[in-house]
This record gives sequence, structure tokens and C-alpha cells, in this order.
Amino acid sequence: MALSGLQIYKLLPGSSKNPEVKKHANCKECGFPTCLAFAMKLGQKQAKLSQCPHVEEESKSRLEASAAPPIRLITLSADGHKATAGNETVIFRHEKTFYHQASLFVKVKDNQADAADVAAAVGAYTVDYVGMDLTLDGIAIEDAGGDFAATVKAVKEASSFPIILLTDDPVKAEAGLKAAAGTTPLLSAATPDNWEAMAKLAKQYKAPLTVRAADGDLNALVELAEKVKGAGVEDIVLDPGVRDYSSSLAVFTQLRRLALKKNERKVGYPIIAFAGDDPMLAGQHIAKYGGFVVLDSFSPGTAYPLLVLRANIFTDPQKPIQVQPGIYEINKPQPDAPMMITTNFSITYFSVANELESSGLPGWLLVADAEGMSVLTAWAAGKLDAERIAKGVNTFGIADKLSHRRLILPGHVAVLMGELEEELPDWEIKVGPREAVDLPNYLKTQWG
Amino acid sequence: MPAIQIPTQKWSGKVREVTLGATAADGGTRAKTVTVGGATTLPFLHFDGETPHAPVVAIEIQDRYPEDWSPILLEVWGDAAKDPASWAKAAEEKGADLIYLKFALNDDLSGDYARKIVRQVLDATGLPLIVFGPGQVEQDNDILVSVAEEGEGERLVLGVCEEKNYRTIVAAALAHGHLVDARTAMDVNLGKQLNILISDMGLPLDRIVMDPTTGALGYGMEYGYSVMERLRLAALQGDGMTQLPMLVTPGEETWRAKEARTDEGVPESWGDWTERAINWEVLTTSTLLESGADIVVLRHPESLKRVKGMINALMSH
Amino acid sequence: MFLLTCPLSHLLTGSNKGVIIATHTVHLEPSGKTAQAATGALLTDVIREAGLDFNIPCGGQGRCGRCAVIAKDSAGIRRRSTVRLSQKDLSAGYALACQTVVEGDARITIPPQEKIERRLTTDKTAGKVSLPFVYSYLDHQSLRLFPLTIEAPSLGDQTDDWSRLKRSLAANHNVSNLVADLPVLQKLGQSLRDNHWQVTAIVEMKTWDRPKGPPRLIALQPGSSPLSGPLIEGQTRNLWAAAVDIGTTTVSLYLVNLLTGEIATKAAEYNGQIRRGEDVISRIIFAGKENGLQDLQTLVVDTINKLAERAARRAKIKPQEIYRMTVTGNSTMIHLLLGLPPSSIRLDPFVTTINQPPPVRAGELGINICAQANIECLPGVASYVGADISAGVIGSQMCGSQALTLFLDVGTNGEMVLGDCDWLISCACSAGPAFEGAGVQDGMRATIGAIEEVWVNNDTFEPTYRVIPNPRLEARDEATPPRGICGSGLISLLAEMFITGVIDKGGHLNFTLESPRIREGEHGPEYVVAWGADTEEGRDICITKVDIDNLMRAKGAIYAGFAVLAESIGIELEMVERFLIGGSFGQYINVEKAVQIGLLPDLPWERFDFLGNTSLRGALLALLNDTYHRQVAEAASKMTYLELSADNTFYDAFTSALFLPHTDIEKFPSVAKVLG
Repeated sequence: MALSGLQIYKLLPGSSKNPEVKKHANCKECGFPTCLAFAMKLGQKQAKLSQCPHVEEESKSRLEASAAPPIRLITLSADGHKATAGNETVIFRHEKTFYHQASLFVKVKDNQADAADVAAAVGAYTVDYVGMDLTLDGIAIEDAGGDFAATVKAVKEASSFPIILLTDDPVKAEAGLKAAAGTTPLLSAATPDNWEAMAKLAKQYKAPLTVRAADGDLNALVELAEKVKGAGVEDIVLDPGVRDYSSSLAVFTQLRRLALKKNERKVGYPIIAFAGDDPMLAGQHIAKYGGFVVLDSFSPGTAYPLLVLRANIFTDPQKPIQVQPGIYEINKPQPDAPMMITTNFSITYFSVANELESSGLPGWLLVADAEGMSVLTAWAAGKLDAERIAKGVNTFGIADKLSHRRLILPGHVAVLMGELEEELPDWEIKVGPREAVDLPNYLKTQWG
Repeated sequence: MPAIQIPTQKWSGKVREVTLGATAADGGTRAKTVTVGGATTLPFLHFDGETPHAPVVAIEIQDRYPEDWSPILLEVWGDAAKDPASWAKAAEEKGADLIYLKFALNDDLSGDYARKIVRQVLDATGLPLIVFGPGQVEQDNDILVSVAEEGEGERLVLGVCEEKNYRTIVAAALAHGHLVDARTAMDVNLGKQLNILISDMGLPLDRIVMDPTTGALGYGMEYGYSVMERLRLAALQGDGMTQLPMLVTPGEETWRAKEARTDEGVPESWGDWTERAINWEVLTTSTLLESGADIVVLRHPESLKRVKGMINALMSH
Repeated sequence: MFLLTCPLSHLLTGSNKGVIIATHTVHLEPSGKTAQAATGALLTDVIREAGLDFNIPCGGQGRCGRCAVIAKDSAGIRRRSTVRLSQKDLSAGYALACQTVVEGDARITIPPQEKIERRLTTDKTAGKVSLPFVYSYLDHQSLRLFPLTIEAPSLGDQTDDWSRLKRSLAANHNVSNLVADLPVLQKLGQSLRDNHWQVTAIVEMKTWDRPKGPPRLIALQPGSSPLSGPLIEGQTRNLWAAAVDIGTTTVSLYLVNLLTGEIATKAAEYNGQIRRGEDVISRIIFAGKENGLQDLQTLVVDTINKLAERAARRAKIKPQEIYRMTVTGNSTMIHLLLGLPPSSIRLDPFVTTINQPPPVRAGELGINICAQANIECLPGVASYVGADISAGVIGSQMCGSQALTLFLDVGTNGEMVLGDCDWLISCACSAGPAFEGAGVQDGMRATIGAIEEVWVNNDTFEPTYRVIPNPRLEARDEATPPRGICGSGLISLLAEMFITGVIDKGGHLNFTLESPRIREGEHGPEYVVAWGADTEEGRDICITKVDIDNLMRAKGAIYAGFAVLAESIGIELEMVERFLIGGSFGQYINVEKAVQIGLLPDLPWERFDFLGNTSLRGALLALLNDTYHRQVAEAASKMTYLELSADNTFYDAFTSALFLPHTDIEKFPSVAKVLG
């Protein structure tokens, strides 16, 4: 269980009963001004216990126990591409954040003629979302009675993504592992029938291993995971054998709760989830605890929304998405269209842009670099001032695009008007409304 | 080896049951009513508690032909969209649980006009009705008060009821037996505060649906998602002022987004327009349903079909 | 009620045969009147019936507590409600007349309602300035007076003036290694001769950064009579110094006689920098402009000079007779005073130029006291937790206690410290100047003419208020007309408007109520607290919707600070055993009202203590005793600073506190009870 800042502090030198240790109270050797500050950073996992040279042995063991991740981190890799799952610490993203975004794999079958083409297309797919290049993460190859090893080899050559080997046949599995040499694939899956052979292979080829039970039977799943672990496999992925909406949601939630709330180490592994051809089911797996999510097919019109969904869900609520600072054109503005200022906090940008777009009014939007803060927050933190706005106006070359020299300042920072007039002497500064929703009306009545 | 205990979570709170629409027996004219809420668990976790009522899907229609809508939508609704009564009928045929009538912003909006449209829609469909003004305080106040009078006893949902105008809308709902859509801007506290203010005016809590606002996928959906998840958690933990069903409008949000609205000048990597647009709407909706939405308002009939299918799948256990 | 409106005789001799109506005698002190009352008669009615003028500001709701009377042994009365009274009040015999019925012969004392000295424990008065140690000039003071009779030079002894003075000081007072600044030397010869070699040397023996000296000659006074005697005919001997607190909004000064440790007078004034921006951020921004820093420095120095002059005038001295000054203030204020650019305070990673500035000469800063006097700024912790807070921690003495203590200093920033003798954690949130009466249309400082408490009648929505009296008018038994509303008045006004439903929980005025006081004003909706006919300037005193929003934001920011501070280390606010409050609200704060608006957490009243301006008190302690300066530095070094701006949890806590009393009413059970 996680300890609070004060509970951790009570284990540090600042609070020690031993005068030999207490004398190091607030020594700053850890890099923080006080023991309490260090304790709070430890609690937030933003510092490591080893930074404190004076912590007592007994405290050390208690603190280390509380810091161990409840869900094991599993990484698949190939050619520099990685797919990682695990190390999650919360059930709901608002409690802190989800750390490792669900990896999206597209499935090909070993009897599928275009397997390599699909793999190539998946590997090549990239789409821009607010300045981020979003990509899929890997290819799952299913044993469907074809030439498994040859397909693995072809896929490996066609894309540089990590691979999941979907076969219950240890012979094919080994052939697949050999064909995947040089990467860390996921071997999927060990079952009550084949686990000994699969565990042996996983150990020999240093591949993480999925354990699969039937119909969400958690006892069977744990039993299998323990057996595989007993056979020396540390990197385990869970497949509780559920495929529909309702059972997946129930069983995946139960697994996450067991790991985090009950400290149940036996299920402390990421989950592999199968979404078939249903984007909404894939969406559920992304939000609700799938670590590796396997899709049956690839299509850009489905991949794009899923990648955006994933980016949204796995955004750190403390560090919101930013948009690229710069000039944005809304509704094909002409040189006489109004010019408005806003910040690069994505929600701020979207609310302004959406209001304008749906109003049909053309306009130029200057998105200032406010380090991802909203207008008011940015102003208070000194991330949005006359200097930054002026810098934006001058560097983005907006003047060349306009036939006028007037700009609209968000109403919340009307206070910047005077300074901005000094910074931009050629410009007339107008104060706009405080809320984006009032912008169309403002433009209709005040701009002309 | 000791058996794994299924980690169930028993909550002390329960979402309030809210009934939309009234049949003749209750002073209205609806063919049926729709009840939402009543859950004692987070969405669809049947092992934790009861979900007596499945979430429902409303279809958005407008008072006049929405020329600014995406061509995909205009094509699929065809001529039906040219008249609110026929549109409501078409929506009912496509399987909508509710009709959501939105008045578009227009200079010649008036109380009398709004009465006429609402009457037409009430006469055309037996489904319960949600009526939204254009979202500007003055027009909303004008038309919603008239709509409340016209729909006396129908248990309409009147929206939007915001902090700015809640007194007017709530008074109209109180006087004529309606419900309100309490809308706040993606914030747990603001949502709860508005519920308190409305309930302090004497409107019973089972006549309020909470509207925490959402963004479409890619346009701030994650804020709405977490706000709804937090509101629902608070409700289950026993916070009476958050124990209300939630209404969101993913359809409107989605079709405002460029991804759904247009195919002009978009990157190739966005893929097929219709596929993308429908996915945008259903993914926004399904994600919000799993964070606690009870009433979702959609625009495309294909999305309606898919979302209903998803809800049915999630309700089975 | 019926019983008393009928003639008593009628009742006693009436025809109600068989019904025994007991009547009792109630003695009403100090008027000496007596009244006859039937069993069950309400005390308020009894008092009025006896012909006494008796106000019930809240309309008899048992809410305002203004009708409290004392029934020494509680004989003959029954309190129907004690909600408003603490255990302490009850044992002191308090009863609310509107909630008390007569059941036997009783003796009641009615405290003077208009000159209320008595206060219930919810009406906390700021603590008197008392020192935690017995001050001794000789033991504690580093600034010293040395009377000298110096041998005049002659042809036989051509020793220079300076050596002559040093020789005398060493011989008579054992002070060696004396140093002096050039300006002192420039005047030395003249001064010695003018005073016929009879002078008193004012010497600073050490400073905190030079604990071993050397002693420094600051000035010479005429005359050399011993300290116990008068300096010159008709004039007592004094050694003057000042303690100053530079608040973002208010600057306060104590003029102190270092020989006795007594405060001669106190002066306060709005910080002249206000016109360049109301909060710290705007000042920092302003300082970044051309000549901005210099301008701000001049403005605050002017304010200090004005206060020093005013205090000196009251003490009948010249400001130049002030020989030492300690200063506290937040880091920005200290930077601006010293002319240090404050820009880095506001920018990530939020560092100051210096947390512990060295002493500087008054003359260098343009402070118009003795030019050679040292200005000593107390040490701060971080950008947003300055010397005012470390001084406050010492001023409030929270460090020495095992009890979990929360110390709050309400100024333009709400700064707070949580901890005990083992650890301290602090944060700062931007509250704005509303509680200092600034940024509010009819706000003012807590001086003469300020409305400092308000009660609103539950039925008529008519207010009653108490004004800080003008002593001259008070002496003539005349009421002081109000000029505005101070911080404590605003808190009490907001609470009363909320409890009576004049505003809703969101702070919106309720126009459906029948009251001419709720109206649409020039600046939007407003509530009239005093009609122009009753005010000093003949103008209505109002609270506007904008004011209400400002106050809500201020209280919300402060409460959010508590919540986040407690959460950050994993404790519940209910665990706080002592709640110490400093700041310049004014003298009277009503805890109950502050809880009702959600400014303070809903803890038992007994846990709260109001200390007044703790920052100024810290400056005073450091002025009187060097060990306090060291303690301030120690507190500063062990304090952990929590940066709120980097934190979404603060925003969340803030919006949930932007409601009356709070979005989660469960956190305020006592308020929920009042609301019913």
C-alpha cells in the first residue's frame, strides 16, 4: 500500500528517534530542501529512496516494500520499437494517471496471403494529432494452420514492430520464436495443456509468456500463472479468456482491483485483450485495463479514432495536451479577417477554434506558447505576457497575412493591454470576451 | 492454494431513478416513458451491484433544416430532416429511445414559434421529448418558458439550464411538471453546485438530469470522461447531490469536429470519411457510456444502431 | 407574548379560575428595573416590556448572538437553544434573550449592547500584543545608549575628537573597537562642541549577521545625564525604534521605546504601490518595466516614511530619532523595498535573489529615520513564503508545540503553515486584497467609521451593523456614521446575507425577495448595507455582486489552500488541534461567520485563536530580542514549501470552495444545521 507523505516522513532522518540519524535532519543531501519535501516526492514516486544516504535499515525495508510496482512491467521490442504495459498504480485516470498506454496490435493469420502487406501497412501508418505522430504498436501472428514460421519471418521483414505469436502449439511456437530472433515477442499462450513446454520455450528464448484460462476463471488463471512462474518465467501476461464486452469489463476490472487494492501479486501482470473487428470493444479495452490490445484488421478510418482515443485516455490529467503554437486559419480567412490571441492548452484552443468554426466566421488564431496552460492560469504563472504575445506576433509572420493591424486579446487578460501596446506600437489592441462562446457574437457586433 | 476472492465493491449510494415523459395515466400524452438511473454500481459492473435501467439513446432533430450539418448526416436523413415532425418519426423508426429537439440559433425565434414546433413533434411521436434552446441565455429563457407551457404535464427535459439562467428554467419546470438538464462546463464541483442551487429552489432531484458537458474524441473528451467518472464515484459514495443520471451530447460534439464534418483537405491517413465519422461518434459515445452516461444524444442512425448493440451487450450478464 | 401584552393585573386577578399562572420577578441589571413575568415568557419580551431599549438584530432567530445576557447562576430561566453558545459561554452564564424563557425569579445582567465589550467565544478578538518573555533593555537589546562626559581637548591633549569619544566610551562603558560611518564623523566635531562635550552615544553593539560586533556609533544625542534621569529638562529619556510589516495591501508600523519595550503607537496605511497593481504578480510585472522597480521602491519607502512621521508626531518626536527598524513582508515586498529585481520570484523555478538580506542603512533606502539606522529585514523561506510567514510562525509560537497546528496569515496572499514542533509545511494562495477592504467597492481598512460587524434580519432582510467608533463622538454618546466596510465586516455581511437567503449558495442576489435593499445598481446587482442618510459621506454603502465574487474567490482560495496542504501530507483537517490566525482583517473576527462562509474549516470554536498581525509581531520580537531573529531563520530553514500553482488538485479544491459554504456541505456540519 502506498504511504502518505507524512507516513514516509516519519521513517526518514528528520523524524528519527536516534540522535545519530536525527542529526542529518533536513541535510539537503537528497537534493530537496527538507526531509518532508523529500518524503512527499517519494510518495509521488518522483524521487528514489537511494537519494537519502542516512535512512535507517528498518525504514528502508518498509519504504521499499511500499514502493514495489503492483503490476509487472512487460516490454516487447523489435528494432528499437517498443510496446510496454504494466506499472499502473491507479484504477481511474483522475487518481493520478495511466502510465503506459495500451499497445495496439493488428492480427494477421499465417494462412493469409497478404500478411506481409498488412504488416507493412500497419508499420508504415502514422497520423498527426495536435503535433504528435501517432502510430500502432505491433503485429500479432495467429496460427491458423498455415506456415507459422514463414509468416513470422515475412512480418518481421515487412515491419519493424514488436510481434505477438498466437499459437498453442509448442512446436510452432518454437519455430516462430526462432523466426523472430533478435526481437522480444510475446508468446501467446500457455494453457493448462501446454504450459510446461511453453514455459520452457519462454525461458529459453527470453520471451514474455501469456497464460490463458477459459471464460474468466481467475482461479485457473492464477494457478497457471503460478505454475509458469514456478518454471522460471517472470514476464507474464494474462489472458482470462473472455472476449465479449460485459465479461471483459468485469474480469479486467477485477484483475486491476486485485492487483492494486488487494495487493494480490499473483495477478500483478498486464492483460492481453482481443477486440475482434469492433472498434468500440477496442475502445473499452483501451480505457478499461487492456495492456496489449489485438485488433482483427487494419483500416485508417478505424485506426485514427482509436489512436486518438488512446492518446486522450492516457494523457496525464496533470499535464494536459498542448497544441503547436503558431498561426491557425479558421474558415479560410482573408487579410481583413480578425486576428485573435489564445494559448496552446488544447482545450482552450479547441473551444476557441470550435466556436469560430461552427459560427462560420473567418479568422486568424494566434496560438501563443503558454506551456499548455489556459489563459488565466498562464497569465498568473507568467507564461502569457505581453512579451510572449509580441514574440508570437513577430515570429509567426502574421503581419504579412493581414491588411489591418488590430488584434483581439482574451478578456481574461485585459490587464495586458497597456503593456502589449508598448510591445507592439503599430498595433491596435482590442479586448475580446472572456469566454470563447461569446466570441462569435463579439465578432459580429464589435469587429467591423 | 486459497481461491481468489472476486473483489466486489459495495457502494452505499445509488443513482436516483428519473423518468422522462408521461403517459396519459400521468397527465401526458406519451406512448411510453423512459426511466434511467437506479444503478448501485459503476457502469455495467454487474458483479458489484444493480443496473436496473440500461442507458438510453436519443436522436437529435432540429426545428429547421440544418444546412450547416455534415453532408453525411443530411444524406442519411434525407427529406425527413426538412420537417421536425417527420424527422421525429424517422428517428423513432430507427430505434431511438428519446427525441432530442434542438432549436437552432435564429433571429426570428419566438415563444409562439417554439410552441408550434414542440406541438408538431409531440403529435408526431410517442417518445418522451428533450427540448433544448440554442444555448444563448435570452433566447433559451424565451422559448423554454413557452415550451414548458405548451408541453404541460409531458415531463419534458428542458435544456440548457445553466448557472446563468437556472432560476427562469427551473421555475418553468416547476410550474408545468417538467425536468431540467443541468449543464456545467466539465467540472465536478460546478456540476454539483448547480444541482444544489436547483434543488434549493424546490425542484425535486428526480426531475434533474445532470449534463457535465463533453468534448468529442480528440477535443477534450478525456476531461468529460474523468469528470463523469468522478461524479458517478461521488454518487455511489453517497453524495446525494451527484446522484443524478447524466446526459451528454456526443453526437453534436462529434459532428462539429473536422474529422466527422468534412473530407475536404484532410490527410490521407484519416481514412474513409464515413467510416471515420461514424467511428468518431460511436467511440466518443461508448467511452462516455462506460464512464457513467445514462442518456446519450446522437445524430447518425448507424451510430444509434451500433451504440444500442453495445449497450445490450454490456447489459447482459 | 400574549401574556405580556395584557396588563399584568388583569392576568393575576382575572377570571381564569382554576388555572394557576405563576408569575415571577425578574431583576434587570444594571438598570435596576424589575419586571413581572409569567412562566414561559420570552426574556426579550420581558426586557422590552420593562421599558428597556433592546435590539434583536437577527429578528429573534437565536442566530446573531447580540441579545446575549448574563444569568449568573441560571436560576429561574431555561435556555431553549444553546446552539450559539459554547461551553465556556454557558459557564460564564450567557443566555440569548430571544431563546430563553422565564421559569422562576431571576436576576439578569444586560451588557451594554452598543458598546459591546462582552463577546461570545465565536467573536474572537485579536490577541493583545504581549511578549513571551520579560523584556530587559540591558539583557536583550543590542542598541544601546551611553551617556558620556568627554574631556574637552586642550593644547596639552590634542587627541582627535573620534579617539577622545572612543576613549571615553571604553573607559566609562567598556565598549571598544567602535566604528562609525562617514556621515557620523562629518557631524562629530560640531555636535561635541555644540553640546559642550556632554553627549549620549547611540551605539549598535551587534547585528544578527555580525554577532561579535564591532559596535557602531549611530548618532549622538545632546546631554549626558544617566539613563534613569531625564535627558534634558522636562523630557523623558527614550530610545526609539520601529517594527514594520510591509503587506501587499497594508503597511503597519509599531513605534517602540527600546528602553522599556513598550509600543508607543501603531500606525497603518495602504501600501502606496497599490496604484501600480493590486497583487504581487502585477507588482512583479510592473517592476520589470523601465524605471518600474525604482518607482515601486519609492512608493513603499514613501509609505513607510509617512507612517514613521505619523507615529513620531503622536509620540512628539522627530522621525530622525528612530534608530533601528526591523522589517517583515513577503519576499516580493522585501525585494521591492531593497530595490532587488523580483522577476525570478514569479517564474519557474520560483527563486528569490536573497532569502536572508543583510542589514542596510536607512539612508541608503531613503527611509527618513536616522540615516545611519540599520534596516533589518527578517529572513524568508521561498518566493511565495516570505519573512512575514517565518516571522508569523515565531510570532504565533506554533513551533514550540506538540499539537498539530495550522497557522494562517491572511493578507493579499493567504499564506499558511501546517505542522508541529517536528515539521512545518507551508503554501501560499492568491486571495486578493478583499479581506483588507481593498478591491471592494465600499471596502476600507479597519479604522474609524468601518462597519466591522453586520446582522441581517431573517424576515425583513434589514441589516444592523456595528461601526468602529470615533472616540470623540463616542465620548459624547453619539453614533459614528459608517464610511465603509472592513474585512471582518465583509465576512460577517457575506455570512448573514447567505444565512438569510439574500444570496444563494452561489453568491447570486435573490431578486425574488421583497426588499428595496436588493437592487440593480450602477455596477450590477447589489445589496444596500447603509442608506446614504446614515453614512458619513451621504452615499449608500453597498456590497455588489462583483464584491461578493471577489470575497468568494478570496475565501475559496484560502480554504483550498488548507485542503491541499492537508491532503499533500495525508491528514484530515479535523485533526488540526490549534488554528492560529494572523492578518489584518481588523480586530474582531467572528469565527462562526467565517465558518459559515467556508473561509475557515468547521472545527470547534475553541480551537481558533486570532493573533492579529503576527508578521508585525514577529518584527517586534526580533526588534526586542536578537534570539528571535535566529528563531525566524531556523523556522525558515525547516519549513517545506508546497508549490500550489504546479498542481491541478488546487484548482479542484478551489472550485469546490467557490460556493457557500462549500460544495460538500458535509464538511460544514454546523452550517448545515443552521440552514436546517
